[in-house]
Amino acid sequence: MQQSLAEKFYYLMKLGRVFELRAKEEYMKGNIGGFLHLAIGEEAVHVGATVAFEKGDIFTHYRDHVYAIAKGIEPKYLMAELFGKKTGVAKGKGGSMHFFEPSLNFYGGNAIVGAHIPHAVGMAYARKYRGENTGVLVAFGDGATNSGNFYESLNLASLWKLPIVFLCENNLYAIGTRIDRASAITDIYLKAKPYMMAKQIDGMDVFEVYKAVMEAKEYIQEESKPYFIEALTYRYEPHSMSDTGNYRSARELEIAKSKDPIERLKKSGLLSESYIKYIDDLVEKEIEEAVEFAKNSPEPEETELYTDIYCEVCKNVIP
Amino acid sequence: MAYEIVMPQLTDTMEVGKIVRWLKKEGDYVEVNEPIVEIESDKAIMEVPSLRAGYLTKILAEEGEEIPVGSVIAIISESKEEKLDEKSEEKQKPQEKEETQKELVLPQEEIKVEVKQLPPATASPVAKVLAKENGIDIKTLQEEGKLPIPAHEKDVKSYLINEKFQEDAINFLKDYQLNPEDVAKTFSEKEKITIEDVKNFVTINNIPLKKSITSIRKSLIKNLKTSLEIPVFHIFTELDFSNIPKESGFTITTWFIKILGDCIYQYEKLRTRTDEEFYYVYPTANISVAVDVSGELFAPVIKSIEKKSLTEISQELENIKQKAKEGRFSREDLEGATFSVSNLGMYNVTMFDAIIPPNCAGIVAVGKIVNNVAKLTFSFDHRILNGREGAEFINLLQSKFKDSDYIKSLMG
Amino acid sequence: MLYREALNLALDEMMEKDETVVVLGEDVGFYGGNYRVTEGLYAKYGERRVIDTPIAENSIVGTAIGMALGGLRPVAEIMTANFAMLAMDQIVNSMSKLRYMSGGKLLLPMVVRMPQGVVKQLASQHSQSLESMFACVPGIRVFTASDCITAYHGLKTAIMLDDPVIFLEHTLLYFEKFEFSKDSFYNPFKARVLKEGKDLTIFSYLKMVHDVMKVVTQIENTLNISVEVIDVGPLNPLDLETLTNSVKKTKRFVIVEENPKHGGFGATILSAVLEETFYNLDAPPLRIAGEDTPIPYNRKLELLAIPTPEKIYSKIVKWGKENGL
Repeated sequence: MQQSLAEKFYYLMKLGRVFELRAKEEYMKGNIGGFLHLAIGEEAVHVGATVAFEKGDIFTHYRDHVYAIAKGIEPKYLMAELFGKKTGVAKGKGGSMHFFEPSLNFYGGNAIVGAHIPHAVGMAYARKYRGENTGVLVAFGDGATNSGNFYESLNLASLWKLPIVFLCENNLYAIGTRIDRASAITDIYLKAKPYMMAKQIDGMDVFEVYKAVMEAKEYIQEESKPYFIEALTYRYEPHSMSDTGNYRSARELEIAKSKDPIERLKKSGLLSESYIKYIDDLVEKEIEEAVEFAKNSPEPEETELYTDIYCEVCKNVIP
Repeated sequence: MAYEIVMPQLTDTMEVGKIVRWLKKEGDYVEVNEPIVEIESDKAIMEVPSLRAGYLTKILAEEGEEIPVGSVIAIISESKEEKLDEKSEEKQKPQEKEETQKELVLPQEEIKVEVKQLPPATASPVAKVLAKENGIDIKTLQEEGKLPIPAHEKDVKSYLINEKFQEDAINFLKDYQLNPEDVAKTFSEKEKITIEDVKNFVTINNIPLKKSITSIRKSLIKNLKTSLEIPVFHIFTELDFSNIPKESGFTITTWFIKILGDCIYQYEKLRTRTDEEFYYVYPTANISVAVDVSGELFAPVIKSIEKKSLTEISQELENIKQKAKEGRFSREDLEGATFSVSNLGMYNVTMFDAIIPPNCAGIVAVGKIVNNVAKLTFSFDHRILNGREGAEFINLLQSKFKDSDYIKSLMG
Repeated sequence: MLYREALNLALDEMMEKDETVVVLGEDVGFYGGNYRVTEGLYAKYGERRVIDTPIAENSIVGTAIGMALGGLRPVAEIMTANFAMLAMDQIVNSMSKLRYMSGGKLLLPMVVRMPQGVVKQLASQHSQSLESMFACVPGIRVFTASDCITAYHGLKTAIMLDDPVIFLEHTLLYFEKFEFSKDSFYNPFKARVLKEGKDLTIFSYLKMVHDVMKVVTQIENTLNISVEVIDVGPLNPLDLETLTNSVKKTKRFVIVEENPKHGGFGATILSAVLEETFYNLDAPPLRIAGEDTPIPYNRKLELLAIPTPEKIYSKIVKWGKENGL
């Protein structure tokens, strides 16, 4: 059990990381445009939580690549989306920040900090209303916890007794502003404590994240009450490709990297050398194929500009 | 001192309130803040407390009634017996005048229009398109003063019409109230449409000329219709004029009116009119004479005939002719007759019938004189006299015409 | 029937028919709705379907989005359009865009209802007409309801649609009585010709429709013309076909709107119609709009700030006389 989980974690974290490193490369080559927010360093949180929430609904912020991969969307459709291609997961209309796949219960990518938190609350209401109990998880950064959306959502989830897990990825920086310069309370789980069960965990340990989210999931399903997890983590990359990252010291980055979740898993003794090698090769190949797929995919037709805005079957509704 | 309780404004949008239930009845004592009535506003039903202590001496709005905000709904007084005088009660009774108060008051004075100073060639887009289609140049025409600045569609249209038609043709169409644009369509191949063209158009299409009815004619029509409601009987008779001297210098009409007038003076029933409640008997013989002046029918009145000589009557008839020509009868000229005369003898009419004008007891229609004898048709208002009385009167008239001494006396 | 009762009936019927329809907002449940639009629904359907929310407009719309994603058809009530500004992020950045950004994978069958407009001395923060702010955002439908027919049929259709709809009401209409029939045909995607005419078209929507109708006969008599009056109805999409057909016939048009003139929605109507009808026009178009000021508290000043029947009459008569009528 432990081993198969470890293998799964390793594959997904590696796939996520290689995907992002390759995305960075393609970005610099000019094949990907706009904003590109990388989650390198935070894979343990994204993968651990998503695997624990395999069947539930997941809402995320715009740093959504690894969540999408862990939720089961094939990397080639994600890479094609980054390339803005017709075959992308959102037909090239969303890009990096807007990965969605409702068939996999992935309601990902919102690019307004904190705006998706009430969406998750509403989803939890709907699930409860319909008697569906797979649970809802909403992931957001430490920056979002200073916004009104966050507090309004804590209040509503608690007031309405909704089955929802709030997962805060505390990577210490809201873009370039360190947490102690933006938040009066730096132990973020304390912000949620008056409303619901809340705890702080090590977000660089995929097993710990998985375990905590599993517990939270069981709790919300049984109690029909919300649950809050603060996962301490770190992103190695700057906020986005346009960010210099010069607000952090080299020393700080070095310390963080020493806790790298992938390296930590490799050292856990749960994985064989041969498995690691096998996965590394597999991932390289898969991502290479994804890039090829993306490159060779067609641009969306011009008519696509006007589709997916309004309902085309509206006429059926008109009396 | 009486304290008025008004329909309170309970919400931002409230304009009327409904009295749901009175919680107190007339004569009850009410404390301050004690609920006295339940009001339904646009948002909810609320209990309304009294702001004063006292006796609820008068309730002015019934349960279920909708009352405008600010109208008095009840009176609170210091003493139970305090009487309200009728007048103040009247005043305090909630009025339904809210509706009229809210009626729109639109500006009565002329709305000031600013005249735009614009250069020639300024025209509305549709006017320009129309001009282009018809090959005319707006700027030139504006400079020549043939189009206003700015030019609108109707200006260009009326210019084009004026160009297409000869002036008298346009006027002709106006008489027939025809739209020149519609008519122009049937002459699309013609350069200029003439009066003959439009006359032909009217003939071919059998279009009637619509003429307006003058106000005089309209009042006549109205009178005639009223007259038709009068129950009438006719007496046909002849009158012998052989005793009237031929060389008297007076017309037959003058003689006839004088003698008829004297008879009427003697015969009360023909100085009478009725409103079906009363008979009104007039003291003098007043006869109206039907005069046709270029299509308009007037009935000026010659009054107090019994006192007037043939010369005076002759003079009055002349005056009537003159006034008729000028069309300047006064109201007085046309009022007061109780009998009327219509004479078509000069038009070679043997015999005819006439309609009694309103307020007359009868009318006589006089045909042409053949061998000194004229055929007369009398119409009498049956409400005033019966057949025998009519015949009696006619006999009187006929006897007067035979009375040589009487006729001589008139010659005076 | 009262306007608010027509809205209530639409909600009631849709909730009765479709278990996934829920209503949420401030005071909509136990209290019965600030303007009594949701009156009786709480007792009938319970707190699970008639959901009282805190005063947190952003989350009212935000959670409604989540509910719609989760298979419900939420009808969110924002107490007044003024407060919708707190929800503008959700409306503009999420509600209008999730469908597009997901390449059509996410549907948001939801309605956000709200009243707007000048009422009576509610001062600047409670008296605004903000339709332009919603109508300029692609991805949401913007409907207006000017009477019971449009309120009832429009709201029912809005709830049935899979598109997110901003449903605009006018506070002063809630307690007005209008003709009502369940059977009357009304398509909320179409403008309505309220009165036919041949010399001039007047466009308006919401309460201004009634202010125009109050003086249309006097305008006709003074200018000796016949006037066509059109309730523009939906603001997004505009029923340009009905609007331009009318102007092609009458060759003149006036727009009457309560919102401030600068950036007001009439500018959008004007440009859209003008583009199609320039060569058909016989006069420059006229916009009668609110003044470019906040709405003052004082009643006299308040009435100065918005179109009134008297002003509509005078301005149209003046304009008509200056432009060849």
